[in-house]
This record gives sequence, structure tokens and C-alpha cells, in this order.
Amino acid sequence: MMKTLGLAALLATSATMALAQAKTLTPGQEVDMVLLPKFLGILVFDQAHEGAQEAHAELQNPGELLFQGPTPENSVAGQIEIMTTAGTQGVGAVMLSNNAGDQIVPAAQAAAESGTKIVTWDSPIPNGEGESVFIAQVDFEETGRVMADMAHEIMGGEGQFAVLSASPDAANQNAWIASLESVLASDEKYANLELVETVYGNDQSEESYNRALALVDSHPDLKLIMAPTTVGIQAAAKAMQDEGLCEQVKVSGLGLPAEMASYSLNGCAPQFALWDFRDLGYLTYQVAYGLATGQLTGEEGETFVAGRMGEYTIEADPGREGAKRVLMGPFTVYTAENVEAAAN
Amino acid sequence: MAVPVLALRDVSKRFGATQALSGMTLELFPGEVHAVVGENGAGKSTMIKVMTGVHEPTSGTVEVDGQTVTLSGPRDARSRGISAIYQEPMVFPDLDVAENIFIAATDLGLVQRKGLLRERAAQLIARIGMTLDPDRVASGLTLAEQQAVEIARALSQDVRVLIMDEPTASLSAHEAGRLRRIARTLASEGVAVVYISHRLEEIFDIAHRVTVIRDGRHISTRPIAEVTPQGMIAEMVGREVGNYFRKDASHATPEVLLSVRGLSQEDAFEGVSFDIHRGEVLCMAGLIGARRTDVALSLFGIHPATGGSIAWKGREVRVGSPREAMALGLAYVSEDRRKLGLAMPLSIRSNVTLATLGKVLTRWGLVREGRERSVTNRYRERLNIRMADADTPVGKLSGGNQQKVMLAKWLETEPQLLIFDEPTRGIDVGAKAEVHDLIRDFVRGGGAALVISSDLPEVLALGDRILVMREGRQMGILAHEEATQEAIMRLATGQEAAAA
Amino acid sequence: MTRLSPGTLRILALLLVLVLVGAFFASQIDNYLNARLFNRISSSVAIVALIACGQTLVILTRNIDLSLGAIVGFSAYATGALVTTAPDLHPILLALGSLAIGAGFGLVNGLLVAYAGVPSIIVTLAAMAIFRSALVEFSGAQSITTDDLPQWLVDFPNLPLFTVAGLQFRAAFVAAVVIVVLVHLALTRLRPARALYAVGSNPDAAEMAGIDARRTVLAAFVAAGALAGLAGLFFLARFGNITVVAGLGFELKSIAAAVLGGVSINGGSGSVIGALIGAVLVDLIENSLVRWDVVSEFWREAVLGLLILSAVTADALLMRRLTRLRIRREKAAAPATKEATP
Repeated sequence: MMKTLGLAALLATSATMALAQAKTLTPGQEVDMVLLPKFLGILVFDQAHEGAQEAHAELQNPGELLFQGPTPENSVAGQIEIMTTAGTQGVGAVMLSNNAGDQIVPAAQAAAESGTKIVTWDSPIPNGEGESVFIAQVDFEETGRVMADMAHEIMGGEGQFAVLSASPDAANQNAWIASLESVLASDEKYANLELVETVYGNDQSEESYNRALALVDSHPDLKLIMAPTTVGIQAAAKAMQDEGLCEQVKVSGLGLPAEMASYSLNGCAPQFALWDFRDLGYLTYQVAYGLATGQLTGEEGETFVAGRMGEYTIEADPGREGAKRVLMGPFTVYTAENVEAAAN
Repeated sequence: MAVPVLALRDVSKRFGATQALSGMTLELFPGEVHAVVGENGAGKSTMIKVMTGVHEPTSGTVEVDGQTVTLSGPRDARSRGISAIYQEPMVFPDLDVAENIFIAATDLGLVQRKGLLRERAAQLIARIGMTLDPDRVASGLTLAEQQAVEIARALSQDVRVLIMDEPTASLSAHEAGRLRRIARTLASEGVAVVYISHRLEEIFDIAHRVTVIRDGRHISTRPIAEVTPQGMIAEMVGREVGNYFRKDASHATPEVLLSVRGLSQEDAFEGVSFDIHRGEVLCMAGLIGARRTDVALSLFGIHPATGGSIAWKGREVRVGSPREAMALGLAYVSEDRRKLGLAMPLSIRSNVTLATLGKVLTRWGLVREGRERSVTNRYRERLNIRMADADTPVGKLSGGNQQKVMLAKWLETEPQLLIFDEPTRGIDVGAKAEVHDLIRDFVRGGGAALVISSDLPEVLALGDRILVMREGRQMGILAHEEATQEAIMRLATGQEAAAA
Repeated sequence: MTRLSPGTLRILALLLVLVLVGAFFASQIDNYLNARLFNRISSSVAIVALIACGQTLVILTRNIDLSLGAIVGFSAYATGALVTTAPDLHPILLALGSLAIGAGFGLVNGLLVAYAGVPSIIVTLAAMAIFRSALVEFSGAQSITTDDLPQWLVDFPNLPLFTVAGLQFRAAFVAAVVIVVLVHLALTRLRPARALYAVGSNPDAAEMAGIDARRTVLAAFVAAGALAGLAGLFFLARFGNITVVAGLGFELKSIAAAVLGGVSINGGSGSVIGALIGAVLVDLIENSLVRWDVVSEFWREAVLGLLILSAVTADALLMRRLTRLRIRREKAAAPATKEATP
């Protein structure tokens, strides 16, 4: 899975040659890092933390890795506050899953100016300002296509479906929904799939649950609820199951195998997809460490080796003009066949 | 005599720098009505609070049946048979009469039995000679009825000492008489009744013994037979007070300032018609519920009238708000100092200039403190307001001085017609006379006054003419010469059809 | 002509407002009035009603409890963790456990408010944040998922006990209504409970009358906490997936329900039956707004606030009109005989 390390090490000294060659990170340099999720208390962020801890140990960083996040009701203000504090304390890098839209920009820019590297993951800063690079879990275009394909297959190629999202100002959610819409419009194959409504459950169980039921009430011919959020998909599946609607309305989207296994097995959610959040945390840590220690410059075209995950390249982000990303990928699509194995 | 049921021995109470009581001694025996008199601020309230366990004495002892006790609070006092009822009755507006009476009873079990409660409430109410439906919600009760509820509550437990703090201050003469009968009946049943009042005629009517206190000290305790009104007043104020209730000659001029015809307000009053002349004091008498305050509120534009006409200096006007009323030259000195009159936490000077802020503001809308102080000091002299300085919060003054601050506030608006609503309720004899003099000075200087009062001697002392109301209707207007307490009461109770 | 008490009058006015709101949305939304709507509302009201009931007890004493939502969340998580580690725990014990957890939090609030004399809005505002942070800490940011729960618990909220004309009466809803009615009976019939009204309507007088006001306030907070704790168990059973955001916003919803239900925010008056109907009204508005496509996602909260405000206003006006009507009728029925000539 890896390119020859020797070659990379040999050529790493030459900065001008770095464009084509993969850099290997030198372990053991001290830098304090902060992992800042949207908020505390959701399983996927905890998994990302585990991945970051793994990389932290592997790179033998004598500095600290702090997992700091706001409480859910205070997400936006809390993120801005933690970002500001991290900047003033001279933390080496902040790894941010942004939930504050562009409101985070002033704090992020201030931190960046005082030397803190801002690496976003899961959800980027929409206009890219203040951010060094975004670690994209999957290509946003691909997310749209994966969701469109799952919808197509579950619905048998035709019918009405709706989207249950998290909050109206989550950058990743909006980008995925936009990509889903453009995929639907681009291919004749999806011509008979009708997206009737997009609603928001704010990543709260009860709100998502009630929204899902309201969708069924509003659209009697609804065949599918597509929820690109792990909280939303679970709540929607439970709502359909509780009300005995699984035969009529299916649920799909992005979900955690551990939470979704029973719904996959009983047919409420025949297909859903996700990437590995541990890997995402691991890769994010590698990039942040490289930037904060000066081993990576963060320029477009820079290629590096991210430990066990292999080689990656920093590239222009096609969804955000002027911003850069590292694309992780790929998706795993879960069905009744493979969900149980993944759940454990 | 036997052992006193309750006694204070050399009790002192200090609040910070203020010495509220010093060396107070009082003995109460079963079966007596013991009147306690003193000016406002003499320490009566503090004394009551020591007797009911609200305050613990700084030094000295409280004895019950000759035993020294420490009262931990009103509940403890109540369990020892000591209860108090206050001028402002303490009822629960959302509960019914029966529940109000038995709210703290401990012997009625866990589950409320409506029938039992009602029956026992009815018995207690009957015992104090009232008629009151136990199912009525307390929010609709008159003050007199609320007081009856409080007395019944005290009686619901084994009461041995009943302290009545100015119980009749808000009552009509008729109701006050009934309350005094209740107090006497209780005493004859062996209860020691402490009776606090500013109405001297009441004290001579009811008390067996009288204790005078002044400046937190015990001055004298005598059997009523050995006391004269003049002597008692002299002891209270520490000086001779002449002409307590004197009616001087009328200063009324022919000029009609305010003319009201057929004034009415839905659900409150109707058919009120009168004139007020410049230089005249028109008094409004009546029982509680006569709706006199409603008439005043409509004249001052707080609750504008729904029918009838008002003419000011011969020109018909509509008074839709207090601002309009003030622009005409009206001022309203309210009965409820707390609710409508004064901002208690604010300083004296802020209160004095509250209605006339425009006069003390700079061009930029800032308050000129110096100007405020000088205005306040002018009134301090003119009205004899006793205060430390102009920055003291009004809430710290005694009732009489608060009343004067309120009066200063309205005088500063330079009104032509002052409406007084119970101007001397709850203030002491000395201050009362001063307020009366101020009203007389005001009309002598070319103003006119409309005085609402339930205190008949006051009405007779002040009024050039007396308008009597009953349940929202004007019963008649008596000239000063034909007015007597009896004549007013006949109209107020509806025993006589409208004269005049 | 029967004489209606002000309390009954208020309930009637509230029901009228409920019908009006329902009629309005029925005219706006297709397929609106059906059995499904009843099932939706009744299922979610089961949880809110308990909290609103607890909030009512606190408001009656002239206080407020902003921490109830956080207590719901904590109790949901803690009972979830409990039943995951001990799946054979008897349902009754689990319910008692949830009550105890909530009562514990209520005790903390109550002690601070009643005995330390800190204003309730400050105590419970701080408690809201502290309890929620405690949950984040306690949960270690993990979630409880439906798979961890015993089947009886998952089935409980949706178990139809009986069906009337197509309307399902489900276990959780029926249980909540029974509890509210029991609290209502206690409030009207138990003598110690009447002290809540006394303390709320006139605290000074309560003290003078010999009521232990502090103990009464403490009891209100403990009872409210316990009810919120039980609501947490209901929440766990209904949503299964419990994260640290569970119960977020319930404190405000419960206040809205209580106030809509005629509980005076100044204390001393109101009933839990009113709060129950208030909860139904809030939920009806919320549920209907989601389906009313005239209002966009971004304006929904504002419109919800506006509708609640208009409902409160309409209710107040209606109430005034009815009370005046009643007074007039009483006057007409009984001519002035009060001050009979002696």
C-alpha cells in the first residue's frame, strides 16, 4: 500500500523537487494540537478522536492532543471561543469540524496570524479563509452520486423522496444536498426520482424523529427519506419502525453501522453509506502535525505519506474557489449482508 | 393579678445604626384589650415583630406564662397561641375563604375534606359575627372581609394573644365598629388583645389599659379611666398639640374650577355631578366599596370615564390620560403610596422631581442634581419633612414623611386642583394635623382640593362641602353646617334617600 | 344555570383556542385532521406533559426551573445506561430510578433556591449548563442506541392500550395523562399541596400564617425534578438513540405550555390540567407548522413564537370577556343585598 519509503526520504531534502515526491513526516517533534468537533456527545466525533489519538501515538508527539468541543446548544459561539483561545495560547494546530459557517472566519484568521495552523475536517469553512487545508472525507460530488444511486436502487427507479438534513447552515450537509440535486439533474437515469422537500432535524433525536413523521404526513406517496446525517437517519428509521411504516417508506443516507444494523436487517433501511471516521481523524492529525512542525508547506501539489493510510496529495478544492483539500475517500455502502460485520 | 400570658422584659432591638427598641417592657393579661399608641416610627411594628417571633431581640427576654422563651418565627409564635393581624391583610387571593382560614392548620389530616372545612369555617365566621360564604375566592373580598378571614385564621388555632395592628385604618366607620365588637368579645372569652390604632376615639371605646411608647421606649401604661386624650397625645408626641381637628372658615370663591355632570364608568359608578370652586375643599365620604377612588382615577385620566361630562374653568374637556390631566392643572395624591405614588427604592429628591423632570433637566436631558436638591430642600422646610438628606431612599421614611414627599412631588407640578385619596391613612396624629394644615394652606393660596377620606372627623374638619357616595352612586352633598357624623353615615349606608 | 369556577372557565377557553388553531390549520393543510395527527401529538405530548406538569408546580411557588430539559436528558441517558448494564431490571424499579435521579437534581435546585435564597432563574440557569455538562462528562460522549434497550421498553410508547374511533391511546400517553390527573387531584385535595398556592400567591402572608415556605418551595423543585426524570425515561423509550442533546429546549417548551395553560407566571394560580392542554396546544402548533409550507424553515421558530403569543393573548381576552359576563350575570341574579340595613 505504500510507495518506497527510501525514495521519499532521499528526495525529501529537496524542496523544489517536492511537487512530485511524497514527503514522509519525521516523528517526535513537540507541538500542541486541539481537535475541535462540532460539539461533544456524538459517536462519530468520538471515533475521529480515536483516530487522532492513534496518529498522536504513532508520531510520538511529546506535546498534548486536546479534544475540546462546545456543548450542543452552544455550538457556534463555543467553537468561536475555543478557536480564539487556542490562537492566543499559541497552540500549534486546530483541527476543526466547522459548524459555525463563515462566522468562524475572524477567529480562525486571528489564530492563523499568530501561527496556529487551521486544518478542517468533516465540515470546512465555506469561504476557505483562515483555513490551511480541508481534509475531505469523500468527494462531495461523489456523495451526491452515492446517495442518488442508493435512492434509485431502493425506490426501483421512480417515485418521491425527501431529504432530512441536520441544520440549515451546516456546510457539508448543504454541499452534499447540492451535489445530490445536480447529480439527479445530470443523468437521465434519475429522471423519475422526485425530491419533494428538504427538512432539518438539527441533529437532535426528537426533532429529527418528528420531522420524519411530518414528511410522511405531508407526502402520502413518499417512498424514501434520505438523511445524510447519522443522527437523522437513525431517528427516521426508528420513527418509521415505530409507526409500522417500513413497508411504505424506506430510509437511507449516511449512518453508523453500529446504530443502523437492526434497521438494515429488518428492511427499514436497506442501504446506507459512510466512511470511516477513525481514518478521518487519523489523516487529519497527520496533515495538521506536518503543517504545524513545518514539514509540510500546505501548497497545492504537495504529496506526503500519512502513516498507515499511504500517500495523499494536497489539491485545489473543486467545491470552494481558492481553497485546498486532501481527499480521503472512499465510501462504504452497507446492506443487510455486510452491516453486522461492520457493527462490531 | 396572675402571671402575664405574654411579657416583654427590657427588650432592645437594634438594626445596624438604628435603635428601634430600647428597654421595652410590656405585660399582657388574659381578658384585657391592651391599646398600644405611639407616633409612626415609635417602634410599634418592631415590638409586634418581636412578639410574633419575626425579630429576635438584641437584648432582653420574651416570656410566655412566666417562662422565658425564644420564638423562632411566626410559626413558633402561633403554636404558642400568639397571632397577629395587620392593616394590610395577609390573605391568599387565589384560595377560597375556608382554605385561607385553615391553610396552616395541622389537625385536619392530609386529604382536604371540603365539607368539613366549609363547616368549620362557617362556625368561626359566625363566632366573630360576620356573614361570609366560605366558598368565595379571597381575591374578591373587601378589606373588612379579608380581615375577618385573618381573625378567623387566628381563632382556628387556640389563640391566647391576638395582636391587631391598625386593623381599622382601611375600614369604614360601620365596619370598624363591628371589628371593635369582635375584639371585645374575644377579650371576654379570655384572649389578651393588643390593639394598635391611630384613632383615639376607638381606643377610648375599647381598651382596658393603654400603653404609650415613644422613640422605642416605654412611656406609660395606665388603666383607660386614668387617661385623657390630651394627656395621651402629649405623651405620644412629647409636646402639646393644639387644635387637632379644627375647621377654619371656608375660603371658597364664586369661581367654578371643575364642573362634573353625570359622570359614569361601566361597572364602577354612575351619575356623579358636582362643582368645585377655587379656594374650596370638597370632601368625598362613603364606605369601602363606594367607588370614590374610581371617580378620582377617572378625573385624573387613569381610567377615563365612559359617560358624562367634565368642564374645566367653564370649558368642556376630555381627560384621557394623567398627562392631559396634569396639563390642565390637576394632581392626584394616591391612597396607595406604594403602587401609584412613590418609587420606594429611589431617593427623596428623585421622587420629588419625578412628575416635573423637565424643570431640572439640562438642555441635553441630564438631571441637574443641585437643582433637584434645592427643590427638595425647599419642600423639606415648607412641609416639615424629617429626613437625613435628599439622597435617602423614600422607602426608609416613615409613613407620614412619605406622604409629605408625595405631596411635594405634586405641589411641584403647580396644580390648581389637588385630589387627595385618604391623605392621612396610617399616619400618626402629629403628621395628620400637619397634612391638614398643608391642604388648608393650598386652598387659601388659590387652589382647590378634592379629599377622599373614610375618617369622619377628618371629613368634618376639612370639608367645606361633603359629597357622600354609596356603591357607585352619589347619595348627596352636605354643606359643612349641616354635616354631622350621623348625617354622613345615614347617606353612606343608604338609610336616607338622596338629599340636596 | 350552573356556576362555573374561574378554573373551569379557563379550561373551556383554552379548549376553544385549541379548536380554533386546529380549524385554522385544517383549512391550510391537506389531509390534516385524521387519526394519525392524534397519534403524533399524543405520543410527543406524553413527554412534554410530564415536564410541563413539573414546571407548573415550580411556577405556582413563584419560581421557574430552566434546568428541566437538562434533567430530562441526564435521566434519559442514565436510565439508558442503567438498563443496558442490567437488562433484567424490573420496569417499576427502572421507573423509580428515573424518578430518583430527577428528584436528586431537583433537590439541588430546591436547596439553593429555598435555603440559600438565590433567585430560581439564576440557580436553574446555571444548573441547566452544569447538568448538561455533567451529562457530557458522564456519557463520555457516547450514545445509547436502541439496540441496547430491552424490547419491552422500546415497545412501551407505541403500545396501543385501546382504540376509540380509530384514535389509538398508547401506553405512554395514557400513563402521562394518568400522572397529570393524579398530580391535579393531589394539588386540589391534599392539604400540604395547597401550600404551593399560598406560598405563590402571597409569600409574606404564607410566612406569617405559619406555613414553612422554604420546605414548600423545596418540595416543588424536588417534585418537578422527579417528573422530569420520569419524562427522561419516556424520552429514552420513544427515541431510543440518546445523545447529550437529549431534551434540549424542553425547559422553554414546558414554560410555554404552562403559561398557555393559564398558569400565572407570578405564581399562585393555575392547574396542571391547564398545563397539559397547553402542552397539546404547543405541540399542535409545532407539528402543524412543519407541514404548513407557507412558512419556510428559517421563519418557523419566529412563527411558532408569534402563534404562542397570539394564543396567550386570545386566551387572556377571552378570559376577561367571560369573567365579566359571569360577574354581570351574578349581579343580575342577586341584587344588592350585601349591606342590609341594621
